[in-house]
Amino acid sequence: MLELTGMTKRFGGVVALDGVDFTLLSGEVHALLGENGAGKSTLINLIAGTYGWTEGSCRIDGQTVSALTPQKSRDAGVAAVFQEFSLVPDLTVEENLFLGREIKGRLFLNRRAMRARAEERFRDVGFHVELDSKIETLTRAQKQMVEIAKGMLSDAKILILDEPTASLTDGEAEKLFAAIAGLKARGVGIIYVSHRMAEIRRLADRVTVLRGGRKIDTLAIAAASDATLIEMMVGQPVERLYPSISQRPAEIVLATRGISVSGTLSDASIVVRAGEIVGLAGLVGCGRSELCRAVFGLERVTSGEIELHGEVVRAPVPHSMLRAGLCYYPADRGAEGLALGRPGRENVTMAALDDPRLSQAGLLKFWRERRAIAAPLKTLGLRPMAPERAASSFSGGNQQKLVLARGLMRPVSVHIFDEPTVGIDVGAKSEVYRLMKSLVENGAAILLSSSELPELVHLTNRVYVMREGRIVAELKADGITEATVLRHYFDAETGATEAA
Amino acid sequence: MSPDTLRRRFLETGGIVILLLVAVAAAAAIIEPRFLNRLNILNVLRNFSFLAVPAIGQMIVMTTGGFDLSVGATMALASVVTAAAMAAMPDAHGLQLLMPVALALACGACVGLVNGTLVARLSLSPFMVTLASLSIVAGLTLYYTQGIPIYGVSDAFVYAIGRGQGLGLPPVLLLAIVVIAIAIILQRRTALGRHFYAVGGNVGAARLSGVRTHRVLITAYVLSGLLAALTGVLITARIGSGQSTIGGTLGLETIAAAVIGGVSLRGGSGRAENVAMAALCLTIIANAMNLTQIDSKFQTLVLGSVLIGALAFDRIVQGRRANV
Amino acid sequence: MSDRPDMAAPVVLDRARPDIRQFAAQAKLPGLVFLALLVLGLLDPRIVSSGNLWNIAIQTSYLALFAMAQTMVLLTRGFDLSLGFTVSLVSVISAMVMTGSGDMPILWGIAAGLGVGLLIGGLNGFLIAGVGINPLVTTLGMANIVMALASTVSGGFPVPGIPEAFTEALAEGRLIGIPVPILFAALCFAVLFLVLRFTVFGRGLYLIGANPRAAKAAGVRTGRVVAIDYGVCSLLAAIGAMLLTARTGSGEPNLGGNLTLESIAAAVVGGVRLTGGEGGVTAALLGALFITVISNAMNLMQVDGYLQQVLLGLIILASLILGRDHKKR
Repeated sequence: MLELTGMTKRFGGVVALDGVDFTLLSGEVHALLGENGAGKSTLINLIAGTYGWTEGSCRIDGQTVSALTPQKSRDAGVAAVFQEFSLVPDLTVEENLFLGREIKGRLFLNRRAMRARAEERFRDVGFHVELDSKIETLTRAQKQMVEIAKGMLSDAKILILDEPTASLTDGEAEKLFAAIAGLKARGVGIIYVSHRMAEIRRLADRVTVLRGGRKIDTLAIAAASDATLIEMMVGQPVERLYPSISQRPAEIVLATRGISVSGTLSDASIVVRAGEIVGLAGLVGCGRSELCRAVFGLERVTSGEIELHGEVVRAPVPHSMLRAGLCYYPADRGAEGLALGRPGRENVTMAALDDPRLSQAGLLKFWRERRAIAAPLKTLGLRPMAPERAASSFSGGNQQKLVLARGLMRPVSVHIFDEPTVGIDVGAKSEVYRLMKSLVENGAAILLSSSELPELVHLTNRVYVMREGRIVAELKADGITEATVLRHYFDAETGATEAA
Repeated sequence: MSPDTLRRRFLETGGIVILLLVAVAAAAAIIEPRFLNRLNILNVLRNFSFLAVPAIGQMIVMTTGGFDLSVGATMALASVVTAAAMAAMPDAHGLQLLMPVALALACGACVGLVNGTLVARLSLSPFMVTLASLSIVAGLTLYYTQGIPIYGVSDAFVYAIGRGQGLGLPPVLLLAIVVIAIAIILQRRTALGRHFYAVGGNVGAARLSGVRTHRVLITAYVLSGLLAALTGVLITARIGSGQSTIGGTLGLETIAAAVIGGVSLRGGSGRAENVAMAALCLTIIANAMNLTQIDSKFQTLVLGSVLIGALAFDRIVQGRRANV
Repeated sequence: MSDRPDMAAPVVLDRARPDIRQFAAQAKLPGLVFLALLVLGLLDPRIVSSGNLWNIAIQTSYLALFAMAQTMVLLTRGFDLSLGFTVSLVSVISAMVMTGSGDMPILWGIAAGLGVGLLIGGLNGFLIAGVGINPLVTTLGMANIVMALASTVSGGFPVPGIPEAFTEALAEGRLIGIPVPILFAALCFAVLFLVLRFTVFGRGLYLIGANPRAAKAAGVRTGRVVAIDYGVCSLLAAIGAMLLTARTGSGEPNLGGNLTLESIAAAVVGGVRLTGGEGGVTAALLGALFITVISNAMNLMQVDGYLQQVLLGLIILASLILGRDHKKR
């Protein structure tokens, strides 16, 4: 029912999608598999009409479609559930469900009909969300449910689900799977994007693997083993991607004692030692990121203590934490990591402007700045090595290198990485891992918050698992496997070792 | 209910505005007994109408995440157009008098159309666009009149709308009530009303959901221009001449009313009834100051302080999230 | 860290291409000014007479000061809508102090003027950076307060009787043959240019403008930088206000009426982005020059003042449309 041939999408000079063919049959669940930045989201955005394609052709139900806009795509029967929620925070659940397709009489809205329809849909899916709550008051999981219900509201023929389970609990995910089975039986074609192999195995009929914007292959799910799929996705055997790091935990450099952040984090205590990588695992929105940000002074800590190098930090603020040798690399590069319009150089030195190497009495050592960034950028392998270009002109991986370079611009002994490999290609990924290795082996401490389980499994010495703002388990060296970590995501009673 | 949700409820339902309104009214009545005089009350309500109508327009634009600085200039334009058109047809009577009014309203809608088109289609900053159109419209109006009032406004028009009474109330007040009522219904019961919020709350999401964001934005600015023009017409009926200076501080006051009425500057929220109450507050304050013969210059000072104070209060109550 | 950045290998200084493009962008406006002078000069030779060119230079220096002040806050995604009335209040107060008795009235007058400027700027900065109120509304409210103060303090009338020494020094004076207002503008331009380029504070302004959250997360003390920035802005406005007061010879409560609009217009025409993080004092200077040339010519050709206002609005719109960001995301 959907047939794409030779789909190509370029953003400026960056090729996000390169000649991809894709077909979707009715009543099929077609999984899209690929690393971050492989082109999955570009592909589904093209189908949803978010932006037009550069080359290629598209047929829906045998009809050739020349260009898609969100409306056209919707009229053709496509409904999309994205990861970044297309919800308006100030409106209620019900208002969001019907946004852009309100049921109305001649003049006024038919609120009763909308209410009935919404209740029916939520019943079908089995979710429970108060229809009159404003979106901004919901948890991430609830928003995800609203988004899914919104996608299923219209009787779509093609449904796109982009990592729908990223913040759902097991029980909620089960309900979703049941709903998907129902839709499938009705002949709806579903494009399902996910990282979780088990899910894909269970739901999908066929799978398409993308890497670096190209299609690697489309095959029946029964025909491929997990190992082959992963290798197709990563492009090399997994073992080669992750360096072996010798962890030599020494003295405690960073400790939190029962810190809380209003609404998102409660009573979190962790310990990080010099010479080790400590992981933070958990669903998106479980408080991992808030913990990192609280330590760096970006969230207001309401209670508890933070100790850095044996000294209690009264009120952490970013500039004093940097001075004390703690650096945080934000998860969202565009929103919080980079001043995109400014040159790469300014982004690299941004966190070290008060360092005596770069300034004296408020005066920049302007000419020295250009020399000072050379070595860190060389270590990280910035490509192209053109730090005077605006940060926005670099690819995702190289933008991340600009962010990470800031930790090499001044003496830093504790590095906090928040989702360091989101949206970057395999090459950049392995360079990030290499950087971590060299940092740790030179005696620095690393706190790594990540939603990529393999990353945590292969790189860390210890892992704290978080759920709903609390630390629920601490796993050590050999105990860290994807299965054990995942179990703690959902289940409170699985013999959680209380965090020290 | 937890204190947190209670606080949110309080803020959302405009609890602050109601408190402020009661406090201001009580203070005015205590300080100056003449405030409660029937004629004075009528006067307050009339002035309230002149502020509430354009403030509703300002609110609509602000809920879409915009700004309309050209409101005052549009009022003046409408006033001058009405007066000039009436002066050009001195024998007009009855329904013929609606022609100048329609012309003035059309001018207002045009200003809004240009503003909205520039903001929506070229994605220019609403602030700069309306600042420029403020300069252009005010300049044209002043050039045409050279700052001199235009006489020749039809007496029938003045007596019917500006000075008459309907149901014992000034017609302008009735009109203002109708406008406020329509705005409330628009916001709660129509798709367009929801789309205003959606565009202000998250344009990307609105577009993805199939909302025609450009059209919604343009509509908002047209409505604002239209309501500003309507106010200009009403004021002309009240003072009996077309004046290029009437919009002076009113444009600013609409922003103050909207902000005090809880309209977020980032867009996505704001309720007509709260804005109307805030407009009433501001009118009462101005009236009380007039009665106690405080220098009119101090009124702008108070206006500025109330504006900043209301926002500072809001900030402190909401906590200092999403700063910078 | 074991890295020794100072002993680094040479970096590819990939500057050539952006520089050409930047140069083209920057050369556009001076070219336009030149073209305007040429065309206007053909229309009316008086415009390019040396006397009038000096005149343009002097007029430009006043507007340039205000445009640079506005630019300083525009860089951080801010605004100063109280700038015009700050000029009025500074003019009135410094004039009143100068005409009062006491030793060295001029010195006290200047101190009072600068003090008033700093006070307003400090208050703006505190409300915006400290309390966290939107800069538009803060300065809009402040504009009303300051306007009311200016007209109340003066009673609405000009404050006459400014010492001649003050007028002579700041308005008619020349140093090495150059009129004092031009010197002031040049000095402020040079200082600000260096501050923006070579200080941590200046870099902070650009970073905050480009992405306030990222700046904060990288340890830039955003609150402090922004607060100081508003102080600098109002201080510059105060300097310009006193130069203007010397020129008019009295404290004028209506001195700043149009200056807010004109300062924003000059900055925007010069290419300062309202979205922050782009542009600089050069842009403000060029924008001020362009607008002054146009309005000077219109004055000479006796174009109605109100029509000039219309034209100013059109110029702003045109430069907004032309300067629009084409790299839509």
